[in-house]
Amino acid sequence: MDILKEVVSELVKMFVADARLSVAVLVLVGAVALLLDVGHAAPLVGGAVLLGGCLVILAAVTAATARKR
Amino acid sequence: MDGMTWTVAAPAVGAAFTASVVEVVEAFTIVLAVATLRGWRPAVAGTAAALAVLALLVVILGPLLGRVPLEALQLVIGVLLLLFGMGWLRKAVLRSAGVLALHDEEAAFAAETKALTEEGRKNPASLDWIAGLGAFKAVLLEGLEVIFIVIAVGAGRGMLGAAALGAAAACAAVLMVGAIVHKPLSKVPENTLKFGVGVMLSSFGVFWTGEGLGIEWPGADLALLVFAVVFLVAGAGLATLLRRPAAEAA
Repeated sequence: MDILKEVVSELVKMFVADARLSVAVLVLVGAVALLLDVGHAAPLVGGAVLLGGCLVILAAVTAATARKR
Repeated sequence: MDGMTWTVAAPAVGAAFTASVVEVVEAFTIVLAVATLRGWRPAVAGTAAALAVLALLVVILGPLLGRVPLEALQLVIGVLLLLFGMGWLRKAVLRSAGVLALHDEEAAFAAETKALTEEGRKNPASLDWIAGLGAFKAVLLEGLEVIFIVIAVGAGRGMLGAAALGAAAACAAVLMVGAIVHKPLSKVPENTLKFGVGVMLSSFGVFWTGEGLGIEWPGADLALLVFAVVFLVAGAGLATLLRRPAAEAA
């Protein structure tokens, strides 16, 4: 059972190494989906928001970790 | 395979190969520690058992992938890739900037050897079993990451075979070099590889997530290379901005 626990914990850590990053990415993808489906934005606008959002999240989360250490 | 397909196949195979090198080197360090302390029998037994479990997972889960609609598969894998790839990129940037310490295979080897030795003092009769279990866990956990990466970069365009080939080549390369040098592969520039893989996986993540949401990227597959350049420049820029003097990082 210990091995199973470790495997599950490792799998979770693969995708949630930093909780802020994971939550922010999920919120971003949800926002882009809403923008496209409900807001009827042009697909390329959604694409630009997705790419730009990822870069902003990466910069913000990385800088926040660096500031804490 | 036409020219346009190669624009996805080459990064997919490259990302699978490079990411697998990172994972296999980490697993190899633990297996070598087990072999050095208790001989190759528990090391090989643990490794073989883990490979059997991984193969079973692939055989069971592999056919299910074909039943998932492509758009849904791209969206789910795209989001997972964003989580996984940006996590790697974040860590690689922090290590490159000196905020986090670099991963040290020699230290990992020493830590595993120490842990096994202490465990052996407590339970001398079952040390072979404990050592084999150590090898099993290392290969299983790192192998799961390799499987995810192969599926993630290969499934979106039906290139699982090519990505798996990249991963298999990485395993062969690490095992060959490991067998020759017979010590932890500490010279492998792990953070540089991790940085590159983080860039590629994040790019695939944006690409598949976008396609899953119905976005048609300009230039089709070529957009992947543009994303890679954007993430590379952003990651390198961040590492420069956050860089700390070596003494402070230590």
